[in-house]
Amino acid sequence: MKAPVISLQGVHKYYGEQEPRLHVLKGIDLDVAEGEYVSITGTSGSGKSTLLNLLGCLDNTSDGAYLLNGRDVSSFSDDELSKIRNEDIGFIFQSFNLIPQLTVFENVQVPLLYGPRSIAATTHLCHEVIESVGLSDRSEHLPSELSGGECQRVAIARALINDPALLLADEPTGNLDTGTSEEVLTLIDELHQQGRSVVMITHDPEVANRSQRRVDLRDGVIVEAGAA
Amino acid sequence: MIPQKHLEMVRMGLRSLVGYPMRTVLTMLGVVFGVGSVIAMLALGAGAERELLQEIGRLGIQNIIINSIKPEEPKDAAQRSNWISSYGITFKDHRQIVDTIPGIERALPVHVSKKTVWHGSRRVEATLYAVTPEHLDMFDLNTSFGRNLTHLDDVKLSRVCVIRSGMLKELGIYQDPIGFPLNIDNETFYVVGVLAEDSFLGYARKALSVDAKSSEIYVPYSSILMRHGTRSITRRSGSTEATDVELNQVVISVTDLDQVLVTARMLGTLLERNHPNKDYELVVPLEVLSQRQKTQQVFNIALVAIASISLLVGGIGIANIMLATVTERTKEIGVRRALGARRHHIIAQFLTETITISTIGGAIGVLVGVGLVQVLTFFTGWSAAITLSSVILSLSISMAVGIISGIYPARRAAGLDPIAALRHE
Repeated sequence: MKAPVISLQGVHKYYGEQEPRLHVLKGIDLDVAEGEYVSITGTSGSGKSTLLNLLGCLDNTSDGAYLLNGRDVSSFSDDELSKIRNEDIGFIFQSFNLIPQLTVFENVQVPLLYGPRSIAATTHLCHEVIESVGLSDRSEHLPSELSGGECQRVAIARALINDPALLLADEPTGNLDTGTSEEVLTLIDELHQQGRSVVMITHDPEVANRSQRRVDLRDGVIVEAGAA
Repeated sequence: MIPQKHLEMVRMGLRSLVGYPMRTVLTMLGVVFGVGSVIAMLALGAGAERELLQEIGRLGIQNIIINSIKPEEPKDAAQRSNWISSYGITFKDHRQIVDTIPGIERALPVHVSKKTVWHGSRRVEATLYAVTPEHLDMFDLNTSFGRNLTHLDDVKLSRVCVIRSGMLKELGIYQDPIGFPLNIDNETFYVVGVLAEDSFLGYARKALSVDAKSSEIYVPYSSILMRHGTRSITRRSGSTEATDVELNQVVISVTDLDQVLVTARMLGTLLERNHPNKDYELVVPLEVLSQRQKTQQVFNIALVAIASISLLVGGIGIANIMLATVTERTKEIGVRRALGARRHHIIAQFLTETITISTIGGAIGVLVGVGLVQVLTFFTGWSAAITLSSVILSLSISMAVGIISGIYPARRAAGLDPIAALRHE
């Protein structure tokens, strides 16, 4: 087995300063290997979102260790976490989260603004990534001029621009109809086949079944982990 | 990070300003009017100061002017000691000044008398200034036709005069005026020069006791003193007024600028002793200038302070709108944070927007200010001067307004929790 991209070891997450604190994640142990496609399912309130925030380095763990590419990021500072989000993680959101006043091309460029690479040197790369999601002819359009499926493909292009080790998808098809959902999921499958690690949060068992492994979360503990 | 990346950030930042043109323009207006009024106020202040300098500078800041003043007379005629009223600076004073006060380059005597000037049947009441040739040079009284008075005129007691061009019209002279005879007190004086049309302004006129009218005639000092003496008798509808003023004015120029005030003090002491009845007036342009400049500066500061209030209001407007924008764009901030933007990136983004608004607003404000100044000077005739430093000052102030009004909203945006911001709808 390859080295894990993600390794959660006894992770707890509490909210609130005073007792009784809200105990959301109660000792999570989870490894995601390089190139693995894992889906996380669970009802609302099960701790899915909290887990995703931790995996996405948007939040710190209260207890336990989170190793991303072998580095323990659980005690990283805000700036260090920003750097990790920029370089090592690609986010795909349910509601696409494109910046409305920027064109497709500029939306894809946004992560580059916060990274070390120069804009001029990466213009070519942006075109390439946009082409890979099949939107070359749309690169000067605004998000408001695109369909939902196209928006999600732009978001995927944006997630790929810094060539991250891990793609984190939060209900990527939640706002899409069945046809476009299929397109987007196929695209994610392709990315997985190209060797990327994918962690997808979903409540839809059909969607979850496309992954290699399903992790079911209930009340802050993993109750079922096995091949989908 | 390389500058190109900053440019790209600025370019993308401007998108949100262009995306909401109405809001951007309204936000800008506060700064536009603020800067416009600061520019206008500074220009009016500078104009007033320039006028002041011109006016008083014309008198020569190295000069000191002594004027004779008619003292208050007892109302009852019986109490008058003499039927001729005799007052003012005397030849003796002049000699004493020249002999005893150090550092005086020259002390030019001036004798002034009211005369009736005849040309044929035309008559003009004129003021005759008996002056030394240096006098005209000292006050930049240049001739546009003919020549100035010379030393030779003085020595030869020539009957020549230099007149204002306005008088030509009054006397009905339309041909070449040079060599024209004018009858003054039954003596014929020949016009040798006509002064360029240019008159003393406000304060300078008063200090030199020059009429506002065009009827000034300059004649050689010695010619008048030797031919007419110092007494003058004016008959007016039954009453006769006789005066004997030896010198109406003495214009003293001091060699060293640093010594002007000291010399003025010495002159004051000397004249005080010789003239207990205070029939003289000491005008020190340098002193007046510094007093007036001080007043002007206080005035300028007050004007600019008032104008700055509108800039302040503009800044509050920007801060207010930006705070609303931060709330409105919470989601975008969350997305950017998720994509790797650090806090300082978010701060930079919002500051870029406020600085852009305030700088563009400032630039438009400069134009508005220039326009305002044009309109004001056109309709009121005030003098104004737009200086480069006032433009730079107000642009810097507007940029500072942008930074200051952007700091709080930007910090608030950067301080948002990325998770909460992402979830914000």
